[in-house]
Amino acid sequence: MKKITLIGPIVFIILWAIISKLNIIDSFFLSNPVETFETLFLLIKSGEIIPDIIATLSRTLKAFIIAAIIGVPLGLFLGESDKIYESFEFVIDFFRSTPATALFPLFLLVFGIDDSSKIAVAAFGASLIIIFSTAYGVMNAKKSRILAAKIMGANKWQRFKHVIFWESLPETVIGLRHAISMSLIIIIVTEMFIGTNVGLGHRIIDSQYIYSIDSMYAAIIVTGILGYLLNYSLLFLERMYVHWAGK
Amino acid sequence: MEPIVINKLDKSFKKTKIISNLNLTIPKEKIIAFFGPNGCGKSTFMNILSKIIKKDSGTIENFNYEKDDIEYVFQNFHESLFPWRTNKENLAFPLQINKSTNINQHISNIYNKYNFDIDLNLYPYELSGGQKQFLAFLRAIITNPKLLLLDEPFSALDYENSFLLSDKLQEYYLSNKPTILIVTHNIEEAVYLADQIVVLSKKPTKVLAKIKNPLPYPRTLDTLRSEEFHNIKNDVLRIFQSEVKL
Ligand SMILES: Nc1ncnc2c1ncn2[C@@H]1O[C@H](COP(=O)(O)OP(=O)(O)OP(=O)(O)O)[C@@H](O)[C@H]1O
Ligand SMILES: [Mg+2]
Repeated sequence: MKKITLIGPIVFIILWAIISKLNIIDSFFLSNPVETFETLFLLIKSGEIIPDIIATLSRTLKAFIIAAIIGVPLGLFLGESDKIYESFEFVIDFFRSTPATALFPLFLLVFGIDDSSKIAVAAFGASLIIIFSTAYGVMNAKKSRILAAKIMGANKWQRFKHVIFWESLPETVIGLRHAISMSLIIIIVTEMFIGTNVGLGHRIIDSQYIYSIDSMYAAIIVTGILGYLLNYSLLFLERMYVHWAGK
Repeated sequence: MEPIVINKLDKSFKKTKIISNLNLTIPKEKIIAFFGPNGCGKSTFMNILSKIIKKDSGTIENFNYEKDDIEYVFQNFHESLFPWRTNKENLAFPLQINKSTNINQHISNIYNKYNFDIDLNLYPYELSGGQKQFLAFLRAIITNPKLLLLDEPFSALDYENSFLLSDKLQEYYLSNKPTILIVTHNIEEAVYLADQIVVLSKKPTKVLAKIKNPLPYPRTLDTLRSEEFHNIKNDVLRIFQSEVKL
C-alpha cells in the first residue's frame, strides 16, 4: 500500500475522535475510537470474535462460489444468443432490481432457518449480478476479433472458446467483484434477522440489543475489513489474470 | 486457383450506394493494388470478398470462401490481435485452428525467415503500432493462404519499415505465389508492389482503370528511381486527377 492511502483513514479516525470528544453526537450512539479499538483488540485476542469471522466468511464464500458456478455459464449462454437474452431480459432485470433480501421469507420457507437459506438467498442475489455482467460482456465483445478468428477458420465453438469468452472476461470479473460484496451484504443482513448464534451480523445486532456500543462498532469495523479484503483479493486476481483489460 | 471474376457487384448501406456495378477479374497469383480515395468503399469491397458482409447483388465466381484458404489483415489490425494471448500465441492461433503440427517449429521458422524485431513473449498491447501491424501480417501469412487480403498494411509503418515490409511481402509472394490484394491510398506503394493497379472512383465505386506494371520482382529502391516506375505512376496519377479534379 502506498503511504498516501493511509491519509484518509487517519483523517477519518481523528475526525471520529474529535466528534466523540466534543460530544457532538451522544456517546450512547457513537463510541470513541480508542475504546472501540481496545474492544476490537480484546475480541480478537480472546478469540471471541474469530468464530463469527469464520462463519460469515465461509457463508459468504459458499454463496459466492455457488453464484459464480451458476452465473458465469448462464451469463455466457444468455449473452451468446440475442433472442434468448431478449426473452429473459425483463425477468433478469426485474429480479436484479428487487432487493434479494425481500425474498428472505420465501427462501426461509424453502430452505428452513439454518445456514442453507442464508447461503441460498445470497447466492441468488449474487448470481443475478454475475449473469448480467457476463452476458453484457459477451454481447459487447469486439466484433472485429470474432471476425478475425472466423476468417482464420475458427468454427462457432472455437470462436466462443478462444475469443468471445476472453472478450467477456473483464466484464465478468467486474461482476464477480460486485457479486462478492453483495454476498457479504446479504449474509450480514440474514445473520441479523434469521436465527443464528454465530456470525458478524449476529454479533452486531446482539451488541446493539445489549447496548454494548463498543462491541457493535468493533464488529462493524471487522465486517468492513472483511469486505475490503474480499474485494481486494478479487481485484488482485483480476490484475493478474485479466491483464489486458482497458488496454 | 482460377481468376476470381466479379460481375455487377452492388452494395449499399441504408440508402447510400457504395459499390455500383463493379466488374473486375482478379488474376490468380498476382499482386493487385486497389487505389482510391477515402470512403470510396475499398474496405467494404474486401469485407465482401472475405464474406464479413453480404453483397446486395452481383456474382463472384471461382472463389469459394468455405474451401479456399484466405487470410485478411484488417485496416483496424489493432482490434484483430488477441490481447489475452502473447505475441507468440497470436501467431500460433491460426495454426491451432488448422490443427497444424510442430507449431513452435513453424513459428520459429517464420521468425527467422522474416527476421523481425518483436519480442514474442510480450503481449500485443506492449508493442508499438508498427510492430502490431507487422505481427498481424505475419499471423496472416503463417498458414500460407492462397488469397491474402491486406487493407492498408503500411498505415502504421514509417518510411523505412514500409520498405522492410514491402521486401518481406515480395519475398513471401515469390516463394509462395499466392494472390494478394492490397488496399492503399498511397500511389507509390501501389505501383511499387502491384502487378496491376486498380484505380477506383469516389463512391459509388466503380473501376476507373486497370494499369499494368510489368517491372520484375523483387522490386527495390532502384525500381523507385527508374523511368518505367515514374511513367506508370504518372498514368495512375492522371486518371486519379481527372476523377477528383485536383
Ligand atoms: N457498416 C456500415 N454502415 C454504414 N455505412 C458504412 C458502413 N461501413 C462503411 N460505410 C460507409 O461506406 C463508405 C465506404 O467505406 P469503406 O470503409 O469501405 O471506405 P474505404 O474506401 O475503405 O475508406 P478509407 O480509405 O478511409 O479506409 C463510407 O462512406 C462509409 O461511411
Ligand atoms: Mg478502408
